[in-house]
Amino acid sequence: MTSDPSTRAGIFTPELLDRCISCGFCLPACPTYAMDAVETSSPRGRINLMRALETGRLDEADPILAEEASFCLGCRACEPVCPAGVQYGELLEEWRDHQWKGRRRPLKLWPMLWAVNRTWRVRLLGIRRHARRRKPTGGASTASVNLMLGCFERVLYPGVSRDACAVDERLTVPAKQGCCGALHAHNGELERGRELARQLGEQLPGTIVTTSGGCAAHLASVLGRERVVEYSEWLARAEAPEPAARAPARRLRIAIQDSCHARNGLGIAAEPRALIERVGELVDLPSAGVCCGAAGSYSVLRPKDSARVMERHLDELDGAEVDLMVVINPGCYRQVESAIKRRGLPVRVLHIAELAREHGLTAPG
Amino acid sequence: MANADRNTRGASPATTFEAGTLAALADVVGRDRVRADAGTLEAYSTDATPLERGAPECVVFPATTAEVAGIMRIANAQRIPVVPRGAGTNLSGGTTAPPGSIVLSLARMRRLIEVDPGDMVAVCEPGVRTSELAAAAAAHGLLFPPDPGSQTTATVGGNVGENSGGLRALKYGITRDYVLGVEAVLATGETIRSGGRLVKDVAGYDLSRLLCGSEGTLAVLTEITFRLVPAPSHRGTGMAYFSDLTQAAAAVSQALAAGVLPVTLEFVDQICLRTVEDYARIGLDTDAGALLIFGQDGDETTVAKDLERIAAACRDQGATEVRIASTEEEATAVLQARRAVLPSLSRLAPATILEDATVPRSRLAEMVRHVQEVAVRHRLTIGTFGHAGDGNLHPTVVLDPDEPGALDRTHAAFDEIFTKAIELGGSITGEHGVGSVKRPWLERQLGSDHVALLRRIKAAFDPNGILNPGKLGS
Repeated sequence: MTSDPSTRAGIFTPELLDRCISCGFCLPACPTYAMDAVETSSPRGRINLMRALETGRLDEADPILAEEASFCLGCRACEPVCPAGVQYGELLEEWRDHQWKGRRRPLKLWPMLWAVNRTWRVRLLGIRRHARRRKPTGGASTASVNLMLGCFERVLYPGVSRDACAVDERLTVPAKQGCCGALHAHNGELERGRELARQLGEQLPGTIVTTSGGCAAHLASVLGRERVVEYSEWLARAEAPEPAARAPARRLRIAIQDSCHARNGLGIAAEPRALIERVGELVDLPSAGVCCGAAGSYSVLRPKDSARVMERHLDELDGAEVDLMVVINPGCYRQVESAIKRRGLPVRVLHIAELAREHGLTAPG
Repeated sequence: MANADRNTRGASPATTFEAGTLAALADVVGRDRVRADAGTLEAYSTDATPLERGAPECVVFPATTAEVAGIMRIANAQRIPVVPRGAGTNLSGGTTAPPGSIVLSLARMRRLIEVDPGDMVAVCEPGVRTSELAAAAAAHGLLFPPDPGSQTTATVGGNVGENSGGLRALKYGITRDYVLGVEAVLATGETIRSGGRLVKDVAGYDLSRLLCGSEGTLAVLTEITFRLVPAPSHRGTGMAYFSDLTQAAAAVSQALAAGVLPVTLEFVDQICLRTVEDYARIGLDTDAGALLIFGQDGDETTVAKDLERIAAACRDQGATEVRIASTEEEATAVLQARRAVLPSLSRLAPATILEDATVPRSRLAEMVRHVQEVAVRHRLTIGTFGHAGDGNLHPTVVLDPDEPGALDRTHAAFDEIFTKAIELGGSITGEHGVGSVKRPWLERQLGSDHVALLRRIKAAFDPNGILNPGKLGS
């Protein structure tokens, strides 16, 4: 709802920006609003900022624009609660695309984006850690179901994709695959992010299975939802047999940390929970669906805020007598694991693929 | 609006405050809790009311009653307008802030102090959300009945200020029926308490009640004591299609006359039905003239019996289809149609203006017909839905405000709608408040003597007229 269209700066897609009816339903869903109850740091407030930027009511150099574009976690928790269907995630991508143009981009982002910008660099990232268990399938894949190897997951948690394959033999892991472009898209390089997704779509024809909720949502937005399957969704779809009979004396108490983009972007929440319930007792803490503060590059760009967002999760976890915390996204893995370590909680963190492997949740061959 | 002045780099825009005012406010609440940067002022220039824009000069975020009092003393001494604000979800421009004003955000005062099942009360600060209070009550087997559409985000302070209603008003009443006591800071900085945990307490004028619906013009609420009631053990829902809304209204009257007091009686007109179906494809009958959704709560047998009696009344009045939900999923599906109305309408055009008027229940069908007639005459799309039990309806216009003449036609249409509501013995607002948007019609409904009294009451509370000026008795 802006005035004369000719005064628009063209930073945002008008239909996306006009859709917000300012009802404020997003406020309680927003982790950054929850911190200090300042609306400038809420989805509605940020859309007001975007509108002011678009119409020139705010100068594009105004520091609050830079601050809020970066303070937002991009968790998209505002989307499912929005009665008007505002696609906030897309608006944020467009905003950062403008906000972080050229020299205005946070310095810490350059090396991250550089590392994943070319397929060969991404492959180099993972070469020492053997994220792929099986022999390379040569160059381009011809398989109909391919497992995507996350860029940073290869380095940090190579065991995740190895376990993902061990659980389901049908998955092929082509050696030649680059980055999905989510990192670019969320950090001010929207077009490059889409380009990388399309490139990966060619490298991995057919269905793409991914162990990262964030990658899943980005790929789905570019390649179409039908081509992309998040790993817990993949396992939940398979008619899996009961876990092997080696149940421990006490049922494990297992908490979950949702992946924001899987939950808020793709509606994936029931699937990992159903898998967990086949292994142990699901402890669905109130903060399970709330961003953990990893938020892609956020934990690197704003470590203090990132830790502050995580506090609530730790407080709930502390005393919940949980044995395991399951994640479905590598970023959350790192965030949750290091925070739990810092707090000294006796909780193991596992990716859903690792949980499936450990507890014999195999998909039918 | 001095927009050019806001384009300073991070510094505050030009101020009309006396020198040192921001520093004095910061001394009260802390430096981080006073915001005067252009971006924050932008965020606090609007509430949920379409097309209404204010121009505050700073926003303060107090955490205690003492801080609120400190802010009011500074504002009163300098005659600075103060606009109290919760979640900013009102639809009447109730929290749009005039130029040179302070927005007083109560969102940080969000402590739910206690739920006392013995006295059946809850005590909380104004920034607690309505649904949080309801959940806390439910944990003790109690019910906080007011359930405005914005309950997940709206604050209880805002609910009291706007005297919010909701879907259960016919059976349970509205916010004012649950306010037992308040603590409030006056415009001049003193703190008063009125009422408390007592059901019977007639010492003094009923100031708690006076503050309900006062829209932040009389005092700033800092603590509220709410009455709670036992939660019903069962709920049930049903629906009926009619070829004409008149029949639905007749069915409602018949059911009530038969001694049923339903908890929910929602109607959706044909335009809404078609819009919802176009958007959500949930299998609604788009040939029907109206959909009536009814619900009852209580013990299991009463719920079942009452739903059956309402269904029978619907059939008697010519309903084309009647269904009682037998499972939770079915009930959710029934309510989905009602919930999807606003989102569906909002997708038709860039702006959605959700209005509010009430007529005596017996005149509801007549009123809705009038709305449809007005819509045709002014070439507007107006969907109407609302509460058939209490005569409260929400004619909703969808328009592109950039289209030449669209706003004028909308304004003219609403003028006719409110005039008709008053003529039928109704009200220009049932639950959204008067705010800045309905102010032009207030005197038409109340009369000049009544409005003059409002002004005298306002002056007694707020001699310098600093609290939310331009609203109600200002």
